[in-house]
Amino acid sequence: MKLGDEQLVSQAQKGDQAAFEELVQRHQQKAYRIAFDFARDREEAKDLSQEAFLRAYTHLSNFDGRSGFYTWFYRILVNICLDYKRRQKRAPAEEFNETIENQIEPSHPTGNLVTPDQQVIAGQLSRKVGEALESLPPKQRTAFILKNHQGLSIREIAEIMQTAEGTVKVHLHRAVRALREDLSEFA
Amino acid sequence: MAGNENRTCEKMEEDLVLYYYKELSGAQQTQVETHIKDCAPCRLYLQEMASILPSTVMNDDPPATFWTDYNREMRLKLSEVREKKAWWQSLLGLLQPWPRPAFAMAAVVVLALTVTLGKTFWRPQESPPDDQALIEVLPVAENLEFFKNMDVLDAMDFLENSDTPTTKGTT
Repeated sequence: MKLGDEQLVSQAQKGDQAAFEELVQRHQQKAYRIAFDFARDREEAKDLSQEAFLRAYTHLSNFDGRSGFYTWFYRILVNICLDYKRRQKRAPAEEFNETIENQIEPSHPTGNLVTPDQQVIAGQLSRKVGEALESLPPKQRTAFILKNHQGLSIREIAEIMQTAEGTVKVHLHRAVRALREDLSEFA
Repeated sequence: MAGNENRTCEKMEEDLVLYYYKELSGAQQTQVETHIKDCAPCRLYLQEMASILPSTVMNDDPPATFWTDYNREMRLKLSEVREKKAWWQSLLGLLQPWPRPAFAMAAVVVLALTVTLGKTFWRPQESPPDDQALIEVLPVAENLEFFKNMDVLDAMDFLENSDTPTTKGTT
């Protein structure tokens, strides 16, 4: 019988290492995808999601079950991703732009595009999307990524961001409005 | 529809976003659907969202080897954390059986040292503080000045007295 997340957490809190590894197995792909949406780089996304698991493991005794493990863990992950973005912003501007371009182009799926023109447009779109997402304030970006990329419900996002559902709706609306303005040429 | 023909009805914008993400209740959803039937800018807004927003998602599908490495690294990092945790726990474990007696003993030693050293170094304040001393001395100094003046007056009296016979003599 498959155990629920909370049962696995309870076992892990008692020192069952296999229980925690099972939690990692369950959530690693989703955690990786969220981290990738923030970092837009495979290696960074791997490091960020692994760091979130390690932090969750270290602070497992603080998990009191008031929210689900899923919510608690993704809150840790989102905070790590936002810290990463803050650190990245403090880096010199030139280096930053270079990093963004290197990150986006290799991993964007341009391989199945037929003509070179299409590939150029896809490359431009990818770069522009990256810039548009970067320019969003952290809370708007988080709400947008969790909704648009991960398909979480407004309620789940509110729990992860520890805010009211109405606030998440406002962040989401503002993010969509800003992205629509920035990316209108690709509509 | 309110406002300019090319612009979305501002009041509807948030609902359109929530409609796009299927986050509206049944009644609200029907309301939006009724509205967009007659509102071209809002229909266009929805179309633009449908065209732009999916393109912001970057699909990344790492190969199986990536996940093998991921799991191997994760296990390694977890075992490192466990080792650190175990080290700290063993250190704390050494302190565990006798923390209360140890703290009690330390408190007694500190108290004894405070009392012993306190007696050696602590002296009651014998001399008054500077300001107080000044206040006390000032009237005395004023008195001295007064007496000095008195001395001068006495001297004048003496001179006056000593002059008197001659003056008397001359008159």
